[in-house]
Amino acid sequence: MVLTAPSAAAWLASFAAIVHANVDYLTELDSAIGDADHGVNLERGMTAVLGLDATAFDSASALLKKVGMTLVSTVGGAAGPLFGTFFLRVGAALPADGEVTAAVVGDALQAGLDGIVQRGKAEVGDKTMVDALAPAVAAFRAAEPDGLAAALAAAARAGAAGRDSTVPLVARKGRASYLGERSVGHQDPGATSITMLLDAAATTLVA
Amino acid sequence: MVGIVVVSHSRGLAEAAVALALAMVPGTRPAVAVAAGLDETALGTDAAAVAGAIAAVDSPDGVLVFVDLGSAVLSAELALEFVDPDVAARVRITPAPLVEGLVAALVTAAGGADRAAVEAAALAGLRPKQEHLSLPAPPTAPNGPQVVPPPADPGVALHLDLMAPPLGLHLRPLALIAQTVSHFDADVLIGTDAHAPVHAGSVIELQTLEAGPGAALHVTAGGRQARSALAALAELADRDFGEG
Repeated sequence: MVLTAPSAAAWLASFAAIVHANVDYLTELDSAIGDADHGVNLERGMTAVLGLDATAFDSASALLKKVGMTLVSTVGGAAGPLFGTFFLRVGAALPADGEVTAAVVGDALQAGLDGIVQRGKAEVGDKTMVDALAPAVAAFRAAEPDGLAAALAAAARAGAAGRDSTVPLVARKGRASYLGERSVGHQDPGATSITMLLDAAATTLVA
Repeated sequence: MVGIVVVSHSRGLAEAAVALALAMVPGTRPAVAVAAGLDETALGTDAAAVAGAIAAVDSPDGVLVFVDLGSAVLSAELALEFVDPDVAARVRITPAPLVEGLVAALVTAAGGADRAAVEAAALAGLRPKQEHLSLPAPPTAPNGPQVVPPPADPGVALHLDLMAPPLGLHLRPLALIAQTVSHFDADVLIGTDAHAPVHAGSVIELQTLEAGPGAALHVTAGGRQARSALAALAELADRDFGEG
């Protein structure tokens, strides 16, 4: 398939809509174990992303790199450098001509995950977005032979399971880690929002 | 001169911390830039702004970056991917305390010290407070050279007794002493009746003297320019260490 700037823009618009509809939910999750700004911060970033003119970019690669820089400068909290690094790495890994296979998208998602791990130094089990994204990328890779749509669906399912797995965990990164045992019983906001991004991909990048 | 960048969630916090630290640094000052907040009031950090601040204060002597919490660290690290690799190679993001470390770093950088020495001073920034409040000093930082105790026998040395200024040896006079000494090729130690000698070139060590108003300062100097260093300190004391 061809992954173009307009199709990437559709993915981003879908993610922005999900974030917008869940601002209060994300903030509520973050108020339990963080500083109650994740929903507001992410919406501010995605509003800036929606302001980008997708027609000004000749590839998904170029658009996603710009999205990364936009989030870096507008989100403000830790989600800024983390989501920003994800999009910068995904954009850099995609070919400029837009022609992609499931394997190419898998490589790009892997690069995005690697960037987040490098930036945040979190591992699976630390109660972060990595708990959702790492199993999602693994599921994507396993389902690559079945095509992009199947792989994205598998990634979204694995991401949701990973997100749910954060509830009983003790936070070991970020503001939530100050709470120690008191973070148990709360779903991680970052794992929740990254799963929204995977859901948006599974519903928009299926051509 | 080593450039200094302060990364904080709050622009007000960063600018006030810089203003406080600069008030301690007489004379020539290193370049300082702030990358803090999303705007004047919105809290947040921006890696692109950090990269811009690094570029603004960069020189061949390198840049030391202070960070407050959480995303400030992540944004500073990401910023190193945005600047030229040659520049990134001479930038160090330090875990030093923001306020105390910034004061120590600005004073040390103003004296012309290299980046490692500036960071070592910043990392030791909590020592005066910890000594005063009787807490054990933190363990030696893995990368930074730590304060080395003065040699027991300074060898052939010159001596001079001075008197602390009327308000005691607080930070501004200490900064002047450290800066003055840094201009000479000399090993200068200062002790008091109550405290063993410390390196006069280190504002952090000097703070541990806690020399009050009029306290006797026992100065010892060795090395090629020992005599000139003592003369400069005597001249400084004549002016009540800038407090007169």
